[in-house]
Amino acid sequence: MKGDVIGGLVGVLVGVGVVAGALALRIGTPTSPQPGFFPFLGGAAVVLLSAILLVQAGLGRSTGTEAFGEVRRPAILILGLAVYVAILDPVGYVPATVLISGVILRTLGVTSWRVLGAGSVALAVGTYVLFARLLGIELPAGVLEFLG
Amino acid sequence: MDFLTGLGHGFAVALTPWNLVYAFAGAVIGTAIGVLPGLGTPATIALLLPVTYKMDPTSAVIMLAGIFYGAMYGGSTTSILLKIPGEAASIVTCLDGYEMARQGRAGPALGMSALGSFIAASLSVLAMSAIAPGLASFALKFGPAEYASLVFLGLIMAVYLSEGSVVKGLLMTAVGLVLGTVGIDPVFGAARFTFGVPHLMDGVDFVAAGMGLFGIAEVLMNLEAPDVRNVYKTSLRGLLPTRDDWRRSWAAILRGTGLGFFIGVLPGGGAVISSFVAYAVEKRVSRHPERFGRGAIEGVAAPESANNAASTSSFIPLLTLGIPGNASIAMIFVALMIHGIQPGPLLFQQHPNLFWGVIASMYVGNLMLLGLNLPLIGFWVRLLRVPYAYLAVVVVIFCIIGAYSISNTVFDVGVMLVFGVFGYLLRKGGFPAAPLVLAMILGRILERSFLQALQVSAADLSIFVEKPISAALLSVAALVMLTPVARWLWRQRWIAPGV
Repeated sequence: MKGDVIGGLVGVLVGVGVVAGALALRIGTPTSPQPGFFPFLGGAAVVLLSAILLVQAGLGRSTGTEAFGEVRRPAILILGLAVYVAILDPVGYVPATVLISGVILRTLGVTSWRVLGAGSVALAVGTYVLFARLLGIELPAGVLEFLG
Repeated sequence: MDFLTGLGHGFAVALTPWNLVYAFAGAVIGTAIGVLPGLGTPATIALLLPVTYKMDPTSAVIMLAGIFYGAMYGGSTTSILLKIPGEAASIVTCLDGYEMARQGRAGPALGMSALGSFIAASLSVLAMSAIAPGLASFALKFGPAEYASLVFLGLIMAVYLSEGSVVKGLLMTAVGLVLGTVGIDPVFGAARFTFGVPHLMDGVDFVAAGMGLFGIAEVLMNLEAPDVRNVYKTSLRGLLPTRDDWRRSWAAILRGTGLGFFIGVLPGGGAVISSFVAYAVEKRVSRHPERFGRGAIEGVAAPESANNAASTSSFIPLLTLGIPGNASIAMIFVALMIHGIQPGPLLFQQHPNLFWGVIASMYVGNLMLLGLNLPLIGFWVRLLRVPYAYLAVVVVIFCIIGAYSISNTVFDVGVMLVFGVFGYLLRKGGFPAAPLVLAMILGRILERSFLQALQVSAADLSIFVEKPISAALLSVAALVMLTPVARWLWRQRWIAPGV
């Protein structure tokens, strides 16, 4: 029920924001729609359906929500990926990927530092060779640019 | 090009050495992700998109299609041996499959699952070969009004046929429609919800969103739960079902195939719902329904046949109408768009190699899958012993590469992360992600078709009800939307039973 209440409240807020943005774009009429017409319909539907969700939650008819379990590990990955996004361009694909691989393996219980180090480096270098060298996909070289 | 000529042409394409390699790769990857719990087909297809960038589009779709239908074969293995469905479409197989394993009959359960899947997939490919060209020709008569109505029906059905709360499904569709409007609008050129960010001018990228919603969210969900995989210790000898098993199962396979094929064509239908419907039907028509849930082989044969038939037939709306009906097909739709190919009725005429090549590759792919699944069952079971940590790290790295390679900017990696967290929260709240992705894709088509229809009709909305096909499609949509109301009235006894 708590999930539906939070979801419903967020939905109402976001929907109202979308409706306001759509009105600013001008919505026109159904026979002469303007750029805001479709966002307005979508935003209004979000508000209406979120309100229904809140009413259902109020009546104790929430379905499908799942309690959070061990959130520490997902939180570490989210944080790790946020850091990854910040450092990918300056440090490059291989060092950044070594870091995120290490974080994931460590979070999921790989305790041997040798396995952790070798696994992370192998994954980062292996995927770089596969995608950048063999498949021609551009990946940022970063600090390893001097290697060509 | 008639059916047989087209199919002959398709086999010439599908049987080239490289396309055989790609079909085999798709079948192997599909079986592997079907076996491994914790990685779904939409995520796998999304994260393999960058691998296809440099490939010929026909080969790319042959491989991605192989992953999709291959996963249906592999999904049953974990259902039968672990009571953990490798794929959502194999959930119902747990009921009788695991019971059979407990009774020492894991072999026949796995065998019947693979053979039933093969029969269903083969019959469905045959039916698709016959139906698809006709449907594509019919769809050529569609104008913008018909397309707008078709997309509207598709969105409505995707919600009403998906599992869980209808309100949550509709809410996700509405959110997807809003997200689909981000970027430069198609007629006036106005920037909508871009907040001055140049990367958003082309809209929210489907690939980054799909990788986040299905790939990263899946990993985040799995990080929460401890990694426990206890394979049921049982004999895997005697994989071939007995004569009695066949006697009990042949009708179930045929019924499952028919139901699965029909449900797979419907937007939102797909493999999951077809397996549940097939199981329910089989239990209802059985003279001994009490056997179900206690190791009835029909309870394995029917849903496994249905999910394979549905996964095959769900390609029909994509290849003929250009409408993706479920999340996996939506990712294949995106793959085609990346290669500059617009799926739809003209695909049949403009890209016969792709149209017929993909269909023919399904015959070949299903034969490969039978060979991969029966003799190599021991190998797939051993695959379950790979620690989840290694799978998770590979998924995350593939998602990162896939997102970055969209436009070689870190911005798309950020979009993927945002959608990953969003998808994780949606999963926890019981909000389905598939209608959101479908609405993001279909919303853009809906808006464009709606505006084009108004231009054609000189701003007369009656075009949507005056065109017979459009009117019929809207009527079906109205009926679908009214069904829950009628059901509620029925429950309230406002409609007398039997009336």
